[in-house]
Amino acid sequence: MQKNKQQQLQNIWDVAGAPLNPDHIDMEKALKRVMHHVKPTIWYQTPFFVYWQRSAAILLLPLLLGSLYLALSAKRNQTAPQPTPPALLEISTPYGTHIKMHLPDGSSAWLNGGSHLKYPATFAPGKRTVLLCGEAYFEVRSDPNNPFIVQTKGLEVEATGTAFNVEAYRRDSLVTVTMAVGEITVRIAGPTPPIAMKPGERMAYNLENKRYNIQSTDAYKWYAWKDGLIVFRDDPLEYVFKKIGQTFNIEIEVKDSSISQHLYRATFEDESMDEILRLLAMSAPIRYKYFDRKKGEDGHYLKQRIEVYRD
Amino acid sequence: MPTKAETYRIDVIMQENHLLVGLKQGDAGIFSFLFKTYYKDLVLFGSTYIPEQTLCEDIVQSVFMKLWDDRENLHIETSLKSYLLTAVKNSCLDEIRHRNIVKEHQSHALAFHQQADIDTENYVLYSDLRRHLEESLALLPPLYREAFEMNRFGGLKYKEIAAKLKVSERTIEVRIGKALLLLRQHLKDFFG
Repeated sequence: MQKNKQQQLQNIWDVAGAPLNPDHIDMEKALKRVMHHVKPTIWYQTPFFVYWQRSAAILLLPLLLGSLYLALSAKRNQTAPQPTPPALLEISTPYGTHIKMHLPDGSSAWLNGGSHLKYPATFAPGKRTVLLCGEAYFEVRSDPNNPFIVQTKGLEVEATGTAFNVEAYRRDSLVTVTMAVGEITVRIAGPTPPIAMKPGERMAYNLENKRYNIQSTDAYKWYAWKDGLIVFRDDPLEYVFKKIGQTFNIEIEVKDSSISQHLYRATFEDESMDEILRLLAMSAPIRYKYFDRKKGEDGHYLKQRIEVYRD
Repeated sequence: MPTKAETYRIDVIMQENHLLVGLKQGDAGIFSFLFKTYYKDLVLFGSTYIPEQTLCEDIVQSVFMKLWDDRENLHIETSLKSYLLTAVKNSCLDEIRHRNIVKEHQSHALAFHQQADIDTENYVLYSDLRRHLEESLALLPPLYREAFEMNRFGGLKYKEIAAKLKVSERTIEVRIGKALLLLRQHLKDFFG
């Protein structure tokens, strides 16, 4: 602790009295010097673009020759054995949180609580495939030659440049896909032909009876979680509690069927679970019964359980 | 729900993993991004050991070249920031030993850095702290602030400030010391 304090004092002292003026440090010049030393194996698009602008005319010929060579060598390589698939990276989120991440192709993904996403460090040409367990919202960078594919249990979603939400939690028998922007194709395992979906549509696929239906919906409410919101729009109370339970990994059961179908409208922003439950109880005739968390056989605590009764 | 800060922190960690993966694969874009992000702060950090701009810039550039050359065998247990700060610190200490200028250079900063090994993981970079520092300075009692700024920003020695303000050198020492303690009090949350 003492050492910590000493360091903080020193840190403030250093920053307050830096002996150099930061404006006199020429970062661009230094970068040029260092980049001279760097021999990249991958170039980013930006430096290449700048380079291209400066010397478009000179580059044209070598570029043509280059692409010719690539085209020819690609043909020759067609018979070569397929390279082994690259190792997958995995990202997991704890319950009650959500994160935003960037995929190697420049697409963005928001991962909701209690989810896992696997993706390769670099996408192989042809297909950009990721594996999802749980819920995620994707904003896919447009690239028609390399379709973006989300594989999840029971189905896969193919997109080129779109935004959509996929919900496929392990213990749920329902997988849903909600479209925000663009076009996607959903392929269900088995003989069902591919299904094209448009913005504002939501598909629910039942893994048990292998049936699906598509409805028009207010798409945002299904992926508002990515902005820290939980949105309900005339949803039955039973669903409201299921969603809250899923978000915070607790078990909530509505014990009185006369209230379970009450419709509810609300938007919660970055609220804690206790606060949400309190607000719900203020606006609906309900009360809660909390159960102590029990220890399971392996010593771990089981999920908190809450029952909801009519007040 | 996570707080905004928590979400941000996870985002930063993920981004850092992504950067490291790209760096290992030889992505020059990621390398230049890291360079742009950290270069100035590392030069400023180095200057707290050796207050010479050219030398500090050379040291930081070498650290980055080494980062590139060793990228495939890079083993970072803490964070990139901490790794870079430690590398700059070690190069500066080597340079000081090399020149054997320790005795001639008894600045407060140097004396501290030599006796206590700094914890680079929790060290806050210039560009992160500077703005918050200015806000905290505005909250100081005017007399403390005046003395502190004359010394830290104006580069005046305690003796010179004492003469200017017509008080004893000891008074200036006390004011600057108190200013520093108060600043730390204001910035405590920021250090986390």
